[in-house]
Amino acid sequence: MLLHEKTAIITGTNRGIGLATLEAFAANGAKVYAHARRETPDFLALINDISRMYGIEIWPVCFDLTDYDAMKQKMKEIAASKRSIDILVNNAGAVADSSSFLMTSVEKMKAVFEVNFFAQMALSQYVARMMMRNKRAGMSIVNVASAAGIDGDPAQVEYSASKAALIGATKKLAIELNGYNIRVNAVAPGVTDTDMVSAMDEGLMRRTLEKTVMNRKAQTGEIAGAILFLASGLSSFMTGQVLRVDGGM
Amino acid sequence: MVISNLEKYKNCFVEAFALADGAQAESLKYQSIQEWDSVGHMALMALLEDNFGILLDTDDIIDFASYEAGKEILRKYDVAM
Repeated sequence: MLLHEKTAIITGTNRGIGLATLEAFAANGAKVYAHARRETPDFLALINDISRMYGIEIWPVCFDLTDYDAMKQKMKEIAASKRSIDILVNNAGAVADSSSFLMTSVEKMKAVFEVNFFAQMALSQYVARMMMRNKRAGMSIVNVASAAGIDGDPAQVEYSASKAALIGATKKLAIELNGYNIRVNAVAPGVTDTDMVSAMDEGLMRRTLEKTVMNRKAQTGEIAGAILFLASGLSSFMTGQVLRVDGGM
Repeated sequence: MVISNLEKYKNCFVEAFALADGAQAESLKYQSIQEWDSVGHMALMALLEDNFGILLDTDDIIDFASYEAGKEILRKYDVAM
């Protein structure tokens, strides 16, 4: 049980890497605030199933990440609960329709940055402040970046750039929050078997995978494993790092 | 004994900046003493949030530039003094 007696907030838990991370955390004893954009019956049933399977508490926390008023309201509710938050996983992200740099409007770039960077920063500010008040040992923020944020490929400019910004923030937050016992790291997944990647051009997918040693997509659980590692005490001497999980690119 | 909001407010400054008494707090401004630096500021914000059961907006944390300014900001959170 790597996360026994820990409480985590994970964004984007209704599918993909976020859902796999929710399961991995639950399996390792963490209580979780499971974020999704909308509180649907399917989502509630999903987290209820995971909660029962592992015998741990999971609370839904639903808001659009770009709605800062809603974010603040939910964070106030979490703060009022007096539960100490130990871990934040900034997982939720967005990707726009495929287009080249010269065919991408600044508005489209801003929309992706809003979800992939600014919303993550706003949420991290709220949660870091709650963590600071806890004064507990072993607190951790894990940002889900992307190999595209390091390599610039395979993704559109606004996606790669927003993930690169998240990597830059990871390094700076690690420095600023170290004094409060909060480690900050990022994972940089390669091509992963998610809905987001299923929209990827087939040729680009094949060429990208052929560049990797393992020549396959990651399963979401393989990325969740790396997130679990960075969230847990196993990585207690790591902060400001970007862990590539990319099948050997 | 019931402590007034004003006393609670002053006590936050006393605790955050290790002041001798609450009277010293009244003239303070951000960075007017060594203890009220950016780290001390966040410690003060945490104490205020804990003591008054509020979650401050980031803009209000930035605007919290003095003891007096802070009283005005807390009014927005229904903390009357």
